[in-house]
Amino acid sequence: MAILSRDVYKEFEDVVGPENITDDPALMPSYFNTEHAAIVLPGSTKEVQALVKLCNKHKLRFRAICTGWTGMFPRGIVLFDLRRMNRIIEINEKNMYAVVEPYVISAELQAECMKRGLNFCIKGAGSNCTALLRGHGHMDQTTSGDDRNHLAIEWVTPEGEIVRTGSLGSSDEWFCGDGPGPSLRAILTSAVPPGVTPGVFTKAAIKLYHWPGPTKFPVVGHSPRYTLSHIPPNMMARYYSFPSVEKMWQAEIRIGEAEIAYELMGFNAAMVAANITTCNEEDEAMFKRLSREVQGPGFFIIIAGNSADDFAYKKKVLENIVAEAGGKSLKTVEDPEIEGILLCQCIRISASIRETFRPGGAFNSIPIMGQRDLTIKWAIGAGEAKKPLIEKGLIVDDGGAFFGWGVEHGHLGKTEIFCKYDPSNTEAKKAVEQWQKEQTARAFKERYFALTMGDQTEIGPALSNYHIWWQKTVKAIDPNSVTTESGPLV
Amino acid sequence: MGLEQYQGDMNMCCRCSCCKFIPMQKVMGPQFSYACPSIAKYNFHAYSGGGRLNIASAMLKNGFNYTDKLLHVVYNCQLCGACQVSCNYAMDMEVLEPITEFRFKCVEDGKTSPALDKAVARLRKTGSMLEASGRRGDWAKDLNLKDATKEKVDILYHAGCLSSYDKDAQKLAKTTAQVLQKAGVNFGILGDAEMCCGSRAYQMGYRDDFLKQAEKYMALIRKTGARTLVTGCADGYHAFKVLYDKFNFKKDLEVLHTSELFARLIKEGKLKPRRKVNLAVTYHDPCRLGRLGEPYIHWQGKKIPGDKFVFDPPKPYRRGTNGVYYPPRDVIKSLPGIKFTEMTRIMEYSWCCGAGGGVNESNPEFSIWAAKERVREAIATGAEAIVSTCPWCEQNFSTAIKEMNSSLKVYDIVELVARAI
Amino acid sequence: MIAKERLVKIVGKHVSDDPAVLEEYSRDISFVHPIKPTYVVYPASMAEVKEIVKLANETQTPLVPVSSGPPHFRGDTVPGTGGAIIVNMSRMKKIINVDRPRRVAMVEPGVTFGELVAAATREGIRLNMPLLPRKTKTVVGSLLEREPVVMPKYQWDISDPVACLEVVFGNGEDFRTGQAAGPGTVEEQWAVGGVQKAPYGPGTASWHRLIQGSQGTIGIVTWASMRCELLPSLEEPFFVGGSELAPILDLTAWLIRLRMVNECFILNNVALAAICAQKWPKDYASLKQSLPPWVLFYNVAGYEYFPEERVKSYIKDITAINQRLGLDAVQALSTVSAIDFLRMVQKPCDDPYWKLRYKGAFEDVLFLTINDKIESQIAAMQEVATRAGYPTTDMGIYIQPIVQGTGLHCEFNLFYDPDDPVEKNCVKALADAAVKELLARGAFFSRPYGDNAALILNRDAATVNMLKRLKNIFDPKYIMNPGKVCF
Ligand code: SF4
Ligand code: SF4
Repeated sequence: MAILSRDVYKEFEDVVGPENITDDPALMPSYFNTEHAAIVLPGSTKEVQALVKLCNKHKLRFRAICTGWTGMFPRGIVLFDLRRMNRIIEINEKNMYAVVEPYVISAELQAECMKRGLNFCIKGAGSNCTALLRGHGHMDQTTSGDDRNHLAIEWVTPEGEIVRTGSLGSSDEWFCGDGPGPSLRAILTSAVPPGVTPGVFTKAAIKLYHWPGPTKFPVVGHSPRYTLSHIPPNMMARYYSFPSVEKMWQAEIRIGEAEIAYELMGFNAAMVAANITTCNEEDEAMFKRLSREVQGPGFFIIIAGNSADDFAYKKKVLENIVAEAGGKSLKTVEDPEIEGILLCQCIRISASIRETFRPGGAFNSIPIMGQRDLTIKWAIGAGEAKKPLIEKGLIVDDGGAFFGWGVEHGHLGKTEIFCKYDPSNTEAKKAVEQWQKEQTARAFKERYFALTMGDQTEIGPALSNYHIWWQKTVKAIDPNSVTTESGPLV
Repeated sequence: MGLEQYQGDMNMCCRCSCCKFIPMQKVMGPQFSYACPSIAKYNFHAYSGGGRLNIASAMLKNGFNYTDKLLHVVYNCQLCGACQVSCNYAMDMEVLEPITEFRFKCVEDGKTSPALDKAVARLRKTGSMLEASGRRGDWAKDLNLKDATKEKVDILYHAGCLSSYDKDAQKLAKTTAQVLQKAGVNFGILGDAEMCCGSRAYQMGYRDDFLKQAEKYMALIRKTGARTLVTGCADGYHAFKVLYDKFNFKKDLEVLHTSELFARLIKEGKLKPRRKVNLAVTYHDPCRLGRLGEPYIHWQGKKIPGDKFVFDPPKPYRRGTNGVYYPPRDVIKSLPGIKFTEMTRIMEYSWCCGAGGGVNESNPEFSIWAAKERVREAIATGAEAIVSTCPWCEQNFSTAIKEMNSSLKVYDIVELVARAI
Repeated sequence: MIAKERLVKIVGKHVSDDPAVLEEYSRDISFVHPIKPTYVVYPASMAEVKEIVKLANETQTPLVPVSSGPPHFRGDTVPGTGGAIIVNMSRMKKIINVDRPRRVAMVEPGVTFGELVAAATREGIRLNMPLLPRKTKTVVGSLLEREPVVMPKYQWDISDPVACLEVVFGNGEDFRTGQAAGPGTVEEQWAVGGVQKAPYGPGTASWHRLIQGSQGTIGIVTWASMRCELLPSLEEPFFVGGSELAPILDLTAWLIRLRMVNECFILNNVALAAICAQKWPKDYASLKQSLPPWVLFYNVAGYEYFPEERVKSYIKDITAINQRLGLDAVQALSTVSAIDFLRMVQKPCDDPYWKLRYKGAFEDVLFLTINDKIESQIAAMQEVATRAGYPTTDMGIYIQPIVQGTGLHCEFNLFYDPDDPVEKNCVKALADAAVKELLARGAFFSRPYGDNAALILNRDAATVNMLKRLKNIFDPKYIMNPGKVCF
């Protein structure tokens, strides 16, 4: 049964054209198995604006997606698939920013940037996702992360007004998203995507960073085993394992302070294995091999020099720091073929598909942003708490590992811990959910951090009642309640 | 069997959208980054490889709900396999198989495309995918070729429907035969007895017609005693080498594409390209010679219970790793005076010419749209000509170029070889 | 008007209605129209601030928060309406925390740069400072104004170096931004090893961004934490002078892009001479004469590991860029040595404040811009100045790259004699004309002060509309510094 009357449907159709709208139920499974009022494919800001105005007129709720990897969508909304808005508007080399529409994926923008010796924060969700995404990624040491990379934003508000923040609204330039006066970036940290701020980001400027590597990687071979014909000059990738978490942290913080890491990713052996292998079976064998090779927790690091001297300096400092912390380089990764694969996986792919989705099981994760030493302290406990589940065979044995990395040369950080399990095993599922509940509750009770995804009435009051302020903010910008509340999207 | 066997694979789809694009490390910018013609043209996620799986999986669970739009989705797919390659860079799952099975299911349920019905009716009636004017072997009339039904030959040359009947494409068959003659190859043809390989019926969703055709044709081929079959048609190549193998018709028949044979002959010194072919060219990998042309590996096994999607014995996925990529390039590069430049999307992540999956019959506009996109990519390399190794590609590119008023030339590899010897 | 006793009840004797004091707060060095406040209160805690804000809400009394001592320059601390109370934060002077391992410091609003720089240095860390703040300038005041900082390499986001804030919003409720929000009190967070460092959140919003740049119109900040940088173990500063700005901008862009320098900014000869001249007016005139029109200052630094090697390799790379651009890096220009200059800009300004030394008063025209536009904007400014009869040879120019090279802060210092009405009027007219002209040429006045704020904000009605909706949430009665920004 169609949700929209033919007349209303026609109004939407008039905006985007008949080829860019559907309410055919047969197509809905490709949009998260939800019965949407319609899927529309706007091609411009003007069209987005017109669609939003129609939603207000007919009191229909809407939500926009980019590639739409994940998301929860209530029934009956108008879903904007931004697939047609896929242009790179500008790459300003001298002022180091790029302006993109929402469906430009990171791989596209990165390739263009690299041609100009630039790069940007490729989010952990992968280079197959929109470049506009707010989030953390492999190269956070040098490209920052979270909400810190957006400059000016063009935003279609839930009422269908176009707000162009910062320098864009005043002087038609994209380089700054803050002011005049207070910054609207306060609330515009993640409209589409990842979709928490109500409304639609139709264009945004993001910060670019210097890229000391080649204009393109010398990729050879065939999928799925792409390798590099050679390691680009002044570039090196290594994996170091340490006798203890404390030693690992010591090295990580010193590397941050010395400003030498292009990337530092606190992968555990399981994640390295997944990234460098081409199928699950190979992955299993590689994980066994790496587990024997490592002496304890570790991280993967890329250093890259702007010149041969710079590289030599960084390498020397790295070796010193690692030696001081008793670190050991993984021989497997020193193999230039593996080194090349990892360089590409981490810089160009950045997607966790091989380590998260390929195995085919489910995984539950607790991700935390912020102060790295604090979250590590918590994660050690959360890792210990995984061990009984491993012993019972309920979750994949990764040695209780967690992972994480420093952001902005260690000023900030991100820590995350997974449990992978067989979704058809109800006992495992229950145990993992219980673990997740207990560990987030412990973090909350012991004052480490609070995940804001849980019950707001419990969490909000402990976090300065932010939820009330946010609800008021949403009400103020979306008076007709035409946007949906749900978690982030990629 | 059927779609059901892929439920596990389809459930694996994490909706990452990689199947829309060429593999990420091959993306060189916003231009030429798409791998799937269908999503590139129609934009709804349903048109992507993943979207197709999402729908098929849901319908398996909740029942098949055929609508016009759904059939539009189903039939506007070249079955080019680019999604499979891009997905399988990171994932262990079947993509193209369930997409193909979904189409079979539509045909079984009588939900067909009228244009494709017509084409298959023609096949049933005339034994050819093309409107037949004259006899199948007419192209060879003056060439004095061996008739493999009468004489024993080492190599059987299969011209294919298009090169047999299409006035423009006939030159390919002729030229191929002439080159082989010059190289002193002991080959023959089936002439009027040659049949349709069935590949296009398969792509259109008519599996039974394909199977019938394959069975008939293979019996005839076996009767000739030829150990090797050569064809210049990528669809035919894929049928003989992969599909006939998959359905256990092929046995020990060696299947070669003309480009493979030429590369071999050049290497052995039996073909000597000496004359200069002063031309800047680029090469288009036909899907069914390239990524889909990799050998078929028979596998039987079962999923190991547990949280991982692993099989005993390990399951070989068709990831495009071993497609036929180098022989055509070797041949081109061996021609004196040629300046060869690659396009952005090549080999296993090549962009389809648009003609596959019966789309050239069911939706010529979309088919040519895809061809135009490829022509633009070829032009961007600075090439004067785009070279392919399949008459269907050549036909599509020619139409596209004409509509675009472009000066780009299209050649089949055999034409260039003929010019050089 | 609130009865004085009600304020006394909150802050004890720390409330003043002394006419001389009120007079002092009624005006500043800017051209903003003077309005006398009714009281000046000096709270000593967040609790007292809350009480004051609640009382103000009850009585619809405007509050003007002030943290820095005089002289004030931008009109933001002069009441925009009558009947206002100045909330002077100078009694809240605690340096709450300085943490070397986590590179963070936390202070109350009354703490000045001089005080915090000393405390941080003792721990081995330093602040990313604005250029030579006056002695009385508070750290929190500067952070909240989004003042540009002299080490663009460490400014990842325009909100840096702000980490977390504690604020009493205009409606009287208190809030902590970022990591500080919770769970737990700040003390409880410390107890498990937490500091108040991550700026984003809680939730999706980045609340500190709303408070920064608001000129006290959203709430009153009762402490702020900020990220700090390590103290280098080796520093080698340089000047690059030139008569053309273009190659200097080019060099600057590369230095920041490659993150090879810490302190990095450009001054014209006027501003540099005004900062460095020892004896006035003789030295100033000769120094100004002898300096090249444009001077880039940058500092190459090394930290714990092999600092000499690092500095050497950077200098080598920089020399290559300089050669390509035909520029020369030197360790002294005229009588100014780069190392002395470096030491100078790592501290607040000695008295008198450098912008006051020449004539006793100044008006700044400041905005953000990008490399592509700045030269034409400077030319336009010079034209406007000439037209107004202001000698361009007297105009200071300060160009500060911001946010790791994504933009430039540009500041014109128009010095004048406050006792000379002709000169004063000339500068006022010039400043107004300049804002208009520069707006037309794409200058972005991200910090709209004084009378020109309306002109600036008029260009972006959509943003103003959205800001007003937010204002209605946090300060629904508009008691916080009314008349400022767009409120
Ligand atoms: S088919 Fe494969 S590539 Fe496409 S969305 Fe699904 S998992 Fe991703
Ligand atoms: S087979 Fe080709 S056209 Fe069909 S969905 Fe896959 S990539 Fe797209």
